Amino acid sequence: MKYHAALPEHNDNVSDGHPLKEFLLLLGAAAGLLIALYLVLGFFVDYAVDYVSPETEVRIFAAAGMLWEPGGGPDTEQQQQSLQTLIDQLAICLDTAYPITLRIAESEQVNAFAVPGGTVVLNSGLLDKVRSENGVAFVLAHELAHFQNRDHLRSLGRSIVLLAMLAVLTGADADLSRVLAPISDYENAQFSQDRESAADATALRALNCHYGHVGGATELFEVIATPDDDFDFALTHYFSSHPEARQRVDDLRQLSESLGFDRANNVELRVP
Amino acid sequence: MLELYILLALLALGFFVGQYLEKQHYRSINARESELVDLVTTSSKHPFGDIPVIIDRRLVQGSVVVSVDYFKRMLAALRNFFGGNVRAYETLVDRARREAVLRLKESCPDAKQIINLRIETSSIFKGAKDQIGSVEVLAYATALYY
Repeated sequence: MKYHAALPEHNDNVSDGHPLKEFLLLLGAAAGLLIALYLVLGFFVDYAVDYVSPETEVRIFAAAGMLWEPGGGPDTEQQQQSLQTLIDQLAICLDTAYPITLRIAESEQVNAFAVPGGTVVLNSGLLDKVRSENGVAFVLAHELAHFQNRDHLRSLGRSIVLLAMLAVLTGADADLSRVLAPISDYENAQFSQDRESAADATALRALNCHYGHVGGATELFEVIATPDDDFDFALTHYFSSHPEARQRVDDLRQLSESLGFDRANNVELRVP
Repeated sequence: MLELYILLALLALGFFVGQYLEKQHYRSINARESELVDLVTTSSKHPFGDIPVIIDRRLVQGSVVVSVDYFKRMLAALRNFFGGNVRAYETLVDRARREAVLRLKESCPDAKQIINLRIETSSIFKGAKDQIGSVEVLAYATALYY
């Protein structure tokens, strides 16, 4: 036997194929699986939400509203009371089946949100920016619409589903869930955008019912749309759960026209 | 949002730098293997062919540690999910094995024959969470001088 020195012609120890192609294929498959599962579980969430009556919800989440205990001086208290009256009147227009409690939170952020259990939280930052009562009323009606559509429960349910899914699918691999998380965020944001638009439309009707016109409806979005917010990258748009402010202003104007609502000038702000 | 950008940056860094380094490494491996191909190397316990009196024999070894990049790690994680050939790691261990043998050969340029070649692999950071994994390959053999 003779020793024949030679190098192998082909490296059989490494499979063929481009790693980037493989990566995109696998990521696509994982994302597809995640989205399909999320959609199916989303239906189950919607199904379950219909079985939770407002009374049950209030009982379950009684403690949630307590996180925003009324604070501040007598000024805030007075403001809170007049806004409570306003929201109660709007609730009559919307036929909301909840006892709604309003809380003002000390926060610079221009935001308001619906907390499960019937609490609407309004940040003081929003009250600084939105000057007219009509503008504030639109925001309150928008949150009431979320209660009426049970959106707060749906999004809570979906968040739980997402978290559970990511945890089960990726196991202890925190890095993999970091890759997949943006995809699920995108899905969730798309769902919320539809819900937000629906709540805007309901809020517009409530505003017209209460005041007889829809003046001030777009005030908040006009404030948000001011250019100092535009520094962010364009990509964030797709992940934002609230459709871009300018788009919402346009949508509201179109809807007011098609419904024949009067876009009157704002009445003077009664809340200090 | 920031997290996503960091992630994309890490993936891009891992992919471009990792691919570049891997190509460079393979180029170097191929060139050196051609250079050293004539040094008789077997896994046999006995010398190959008719040889004169052995004047010296030595234990020689070569070892290397190669790390995965972020891109490979993600690719392997996705692979773990679906199953199949983990190509991302195949090139890693292939490079490590060949580099270890090359280093072994380079450590004894005057040897006439290398016998009893053995290769062992161990992973560093095994079981350590959130650590980039590395692989160590150790090649050892007996070099014969005659």
